[in-house]
Amino acid sequence: MKKLLIGLYAGITILLMIWGYYQAIYVAPNDAMQGEIFRIIYYHVPSAAVAFVFFAISLAGSIGFLAYRQNAPDKAQIADAWALAGAEVGVVFCTVVLITGPIWGRRAWGIWWTWDARLTTTLVLWLIYVSYLLLRRFAAGPQMQTLAAVLGIFGALDVPIVYMSNRWWRTQHPAPVFGGGQGSGMDPSMLPAFFWNMGAWFAWGMFILILRFVIERQQQRIAAAEAQAALEA
Amino acid sequence: MDQRAILDHEFRVAAYIVTWVIQLSYLAWLGYRWRAQEKRGPGTRD
Repeated sequence: MKKLLIGLYAGITILLMIWGYYQAIYVAPNDAMQGEIFRIIYYHVPSAAVAFVFFAISLAGSIGFLAYRQNAPDKAQIADAWALAGAEVGVVFCTVVLITGPIWGRRAWGIWWTWDARLTTTLVLWLIYVSYLLLRRFAAGPQMQTLAAVLGIFGALDVPIVYMSNRWWRTQHPAPVFGGGQGSGMDPSMLPAFFWNMGAWFAWGMFILILRFVIERQQQRIAAAEAQAALEA
Repeated sequence: MDQRAILDHEFRVAAYIVTWVIQLSYLAWLGYRWRAQEKRGPGTRD
């Protein structure tokens, strides 16, 4: 039954990805100013949205770990696994954002990169979470999870700054398409492609997030069993 | 297609390919870790 549900979810996700691609390439029109290069938005913006949500999950997991670590170790380990899964999958999506953005920028602006507020804060966000993953990978000892949780909380503080950066400051990065005040928005003929791809990337993201969480929980059990065996030896 | 449209097309294709290479590489790495854990220890899953 469990395998059937996983297969069903994976199948729906693949269909959504194919449908999203079809919408982005064959249904949505070219942008009047940018031409075909505009279609990068259908992968770039959903990837950013998924990264933000997963960093928020990592934040919740980090807070949960700190809250439970003294009184409910089992719950703390579950929270820690969510924190790690959210951070790692978030970094994957943030990497996509940081590569597809410059590819678009090279055609639209004539440059790969500029140190404006949106791009810089996004790069800082990525660097913080890469640091988080490196800490988890190479640090050892009982305080590692606590340190990682604190870093995860600080990292998440950058998410609202990234989101607001092109509202607070004048940036080379385009103004907000949604929720950006008068004149913002997307042509209605482009909206279905945008929202189908948003749904598809969230479905894909949830799939790999849950897979990463399950792997981490299994890793925690193996580590606990090995520690127990070492104590009994 | 003019030269500009060809370049736009190539950049768009590059962005989509890079996206999928990153996503599928990560999924493959997760699959590898999953298999490695299956061999290493049993344990119960959530």
